[in-house]
Amino acid sequence: MLRISTIALALGLALPASAQTIRLGAVLPLTGPAAVIGMQEQRGIQFAVDEVNAKGGVAGHKIEVLFEDNQAKPDQSVLLFNKLVDLQKVPAVFTGYSGPSLAMAPLAGRKKTLLVNGGAQADALDKASPYLINTIPVLAGELDVLATYLVADAGKKTAAILFENNAAGIAGRDDFLGSFEKAGGKVLAQEPVPFGDTNYRPALLKLAATSPDVVFVVITTGTPQLADQVRQIDAKFTVVGSTFFSDPELIANPNAEGFTHTQVLINAPEGMAAAFKTKYGTEFDFFPKQYYNAATVVMICVEKLLKDGKPVTGENLLAALKEIKTFKGLTTTVFNTNTAATQINMNRINGKQDNLLKVIPPK
Amino acid sequence: MLWLNLLLNGLVWGCALGMVAVSFSLIFATTRFFHVAHAAVYGLGGYVAWSALKHGLPEWAALLVGIVACGAVGALIQKLLYERLDRSGATHLVILIASLGLSAVIQNSLAAVYTSNVLQYGLPWGNRTTVIGGALLTNTQMLTVGFGILSYLGAMWFAHRTVLGKRMRAVASNPFLAEITRLQPRQVHIAVMAIGSALVCIPGVLVPLDLGLQPFGGVPILLTATIAVIAGGVGSISGAFVLALVIAVLQNLSLLVMPGEWSIGITFGIFVIFMLFRPRGLFTG
Amino acid sequence: MDFLTTYIVLAEIYVLLGLSTNLLVGIVGIFSVSQAAVFGVGAYLTAFLLMHTALPFPVAVLLAAALCVGLNILVTLPSLRVSGDYFVVTSFGIQLLATAVFTNWTGGTGGANGLPGVPAPMILGHEFLEPTEFIALTTIGMGLGCLCFWLMMRAPFGALLRAIREDELAVAALGKSVLGAKVSAAALAGAFAGSAGGLYATFLSFVDPSSFDLDASIFLLTMVVVGGARTLAGSVLGPFVLLALPQILALIDIPTSIAAAARQLIYGLLLIVFMLFRPQGLLGEKL
Repeated sequence: MLRISTIALALGLALPASAQTIRLGAVLPLTGPAAVIGMQEQRGIQFAVDEVNAKGGVAGHKIEVLFEDNQAKPDQSVLLFNKLVDLQKVPAVFTGYSGPSLAMAPLAGRKKTLLVNGGAQADALDKASPYLINTIPVLAGELDVLATYLVADAGKKTAAILFENNAAGIAGRDDFLGSFEKAGGKVLAQEPVPFGDTNYRPALLKLAATSPDVVFVVITTGTPQLADQVRQIDAKFTVVGSTFFSDPELIANPNAEGFTHTQVLINAPEGMAAAFKTKYGTEFDFFPKQYYNAATVVMICVEKLLKDGKPVTGENLLAALKEIKTFKGLTTTVFNTNTAATQINMNRINGKQDNLLKVIPPK
Repeated sequence: MLWLNLLLNGLVWGCALGMVAVSFSLIFATTRFFHVAHAAVYGLGGYVAWSALKHGLPEWAALLVGIVACGAVGALIQKLLYERLDRSGATHLVILIASLGLSAVIQNSLAAVYTSNVLQYGLPWGNRTTVIGGALLTNTQMLTVGFGILSYLGAMWFAHRTVLGKRMRAVASNPFLAEITRLQPRQVHIAVMAIGSALVCIPGVLVPLDLGLQPFGGVPILLTATIAVIAGGVGSISGAFVLALVIAVLQNLSLLVMPGEWSIGITFGIFVIFMLFRPRGLFTG
Repeated sequence: MDFLTTYIVLAEIYVLLGLSTNLLVGIVGIFSVSQAAVFGVGAYLTAFLLMHTALPFPVAVLLAAALCVGLNILVTLPSLRVSGDYFVVTSFGIQLLATAVFTNWTGGTGGANGLPGVPAPMILGHEFLEPTEFIALTTIGMGLGCLCFWLMMRAPFGALLRAIREDELAVAALGKSVLGAKVSAAALAGAFAGSAGGLYATFLSFVDPSSFDLDASIFLLTMVVVGGARTLAGSVLGPFVLLALPQILALIDIPTSIAAAARQLIYGLLLIVFMLFRPQGLLGEKL
C-alpha cells in the first residue's frame, strides 16, 4: 500500500498542477505518553478538514494535512518540521505541547512558515517567534483569573502546587506562584510529578501535610486518577486547576466533586459533537475542539489568499491572519497579538456536571 | 502523620514491586536472559483482564484469564524466540536487543488496539478506604499487599518444596552441570518463563486497578524491579522481595526530606554505589 | 535540499556515537546502556560554555570532550568490578540517574525546559548556521573520528583490545595491563561521545533532556548491532540506516489512527528479525 504521491514527494519530484490540494503539516505526539492528547489534537484537525473537503474544499481546493509523530520530543520536532517544510513545502504547521513548540519557533521564523499552536500554554510561546501564533490564551492570563477569584471571591489564602515536571507544568507552577502571591495569597509547598506517572499519592500526602486551603494542579493527563487519590487521602483542601479539568471522564467522576477551574470558553454545536463521536468513537473534548478551531482559522486565511489570488505561503498566511484579526470558528478568536484573546469562565464540578460560577470577559 | 502515610504507601508499593521483582528473579536467575519484554507481558496481563471484564466475566475470572494468557505468552516467547537465539549461540547482548524489539512490538500493539488513553477498570469497590492506625488504605492497596505476600510465599514454596522448583534452582546454580545430568534445562526454562510471566500478571492488574491502565506502564516498574533483583542477590527470592520493599519505602520516605523529583535519582545513585562495594548483592542463592 | 542535508548531518553526528558505542560494547565488551548520558553531558557542557563564556566553539567542544573522557572512565569503572550481566543494570541505573540530573538540575541544565538558543559554531569568523554549512563541520568530525578508530585498530593497541575480549586472563598472564587498556578505550569512547554532543547542541540550537534518555541509549546500541559490531564500516552504516528507517516506514500507507504505533511496531519486528537471522548486523562481525 505505497502511496505514489508520497514516494514522489519523498524523492523530491514535483507533482503536476492538477494536484490542487493544499497541503498543511502537523507535528504532534502520536505515540508515547503524550499521545493521549496528541491523538485528540489530530482528530480535531482531521475532523475540521474532512468537513470542509466534503463541501468541496476551500475555494475549490481540497485540503490535506500531513501528520508527523514527534513523541513530544523537541529534537524530533525540529527534524520533522524541516522535513515538512523542505520536502513537502507546507506553508503552515500545527503543533502542540510547549517544549516542541518552543523548539520549532525559531525555525518557523527562519523559514517563514506559519506555526499554529492550539493547545500549549507556556507564556514563552507568546513572544517566541513572529511566525508562531497561539489560538489559545497563554496560561498566565488564565491563572491570573483563577488566583484573583480564589483570593477575592472565595477567600482562600493559602495554596500548594502539584505540577507535571515538564515545560508546561513548570510554566504553570511559575505563573500560579506569581499570580497567587500578587493577589494576596501565600504558596506553602510545591511538588513535581514525572510526566505520564499517575501515582500522585506521595506528592499529595506531602502537600496535604502543610494544610493548604487549595491545591493547584497542573497536569495534562491522569486527572480522574488524581480525583480518586485526593478522595482516598481524605483531603481537606479544594482542588483547583485550569482548562485541563474540562475532561468529561473527570467531570463524570464522583470524586471530582468541588473541583474548581478556569475554562477557556469553547463550545460545539450539538450535532457536531455527536457527529464527531460517531466518526471517532471518542468525545469531542477540549483538545479536539481547540484544534478544530485552529484548523478553521488557518483554512479561513487560506480562503482569503485564494480569493485574492495570492500564493499560499507562510508569509502570506501570517499577513492574512493579522488582517482578518477576528475569526468566528468554534469560538470567537481575536488576534491583537500572536496569542488569541478569548472569554474565560470560572467553573466548578458539582453533581457530575461542570457548572459555571463566573464569566470573565477578555481583556 | 505524614511519615506513617508515606511508610504505608511505600509498603504497599513495595508489594507490587516485589511481585514484579520475584517473577523477574525466577526467570533471570534460571535463564540469565535479560528479559526486558517482561514489562510488556505485565502490560498485556492488565489489558487481557480488562477486556475479559468488559465482556462480562466476574473479577476473579478476568484475573484468571489474564494469568493463563500471560503464562502462555511467556512460554511461547521462550520457545519461539529465546531458545532459538540461544541454540544459534547468540550472546546476551543479542538476546537483550531481541527482547527490546519484542517489547516494542507487544506494547505498540496494545497501544494500537486499546489507544494510549489511560483506561479504568471501573470497579468502585477498589476505591473504598479503611482506616488503619491513623492512615487510610484503599481496598486495592490492601489486595496488593495480600497478593504480594502470597506471591512471595508461593514462590518460596515452589522453589524449595516442589520438584520443578528444585530443578529450577539446580539449573540456575550450574547450567553446565544441569545439561549433562539430564535435568533438561530447556524444559525448565520454558516452565520458569511460563510461571514468571503468569505471576507478573497479578501486579499487571492490581497496579493499573489503582493507577489506570497504560500501554507503556510496565517499563519504569520493571527497571526498578531489576534493581531490586540484582541488589538483593541474583537467585534469592527473598532478596528480591525484601529489596523491593526497601526501595519503595525509601523512595516514599525520602519525600520527607527532599523534593520529589530527586527521589528516583537518589535510588539509582545508591544502587550504583552499592554495586561498587557489593556487586554480588545482599543475599546469595 | 535542507531535509537531506539535515539527515546527513545527524547521521554523521551519530556515526561518532556509533564509534564510541562500538568501541566500548563491541570491541572491549563493556555492556553499556549509558552512552547517551555521556553524549548529553557533552551537549549540555558545550551549550553552557558557548552561552555563558566567551570561549570559541573549538575550545568549548574540546573542553566538553575532555570532561566526557573523565566521565566515561568513571562510568565504566563499575564494569571492572561487576561482571557483564550485572553491569547492565548498573549501567541502566547510571543512565537513569543522568536523566534525573538533566531534568531536575534547573540551574545548570535548564531542567525540563532545556537550554534554548545555543549559538551556531563560529570558527575563524565564519558562522556555520545553515545545514548546508554545518555539514562541512560534521563531515570533518566524522572523518577525524573514523581515522582515529581505523588507526587505533591497526595499531598494537587494537590487537590488545581484541585479545582482551577473547581471553582476558591470558592477556593479564602475559603481563599486559588489562585495566590500562580498558580505561584507555573508555577514555577514547568518551571523547567521541563528548564531541558528538557538542556538534549536536550547536546544530539543533536547543538542548533538551529527552534527547539523552534511556531510549536514546538503546537506540545507540541498536545502531551498532544493526550496522555491524566491532567494525568501522558497521559504525558508519548503522546510523545512516537507522535514521533513514522512520522515513522509509512513513512511505507505507497506514490508517492515521494507528500509523505511529504501527511504525514503532515494525521497528521492533525488524530488531527481532535481525537478531534471529543476522546477528552480526549488516557489515559487522558476530557480537
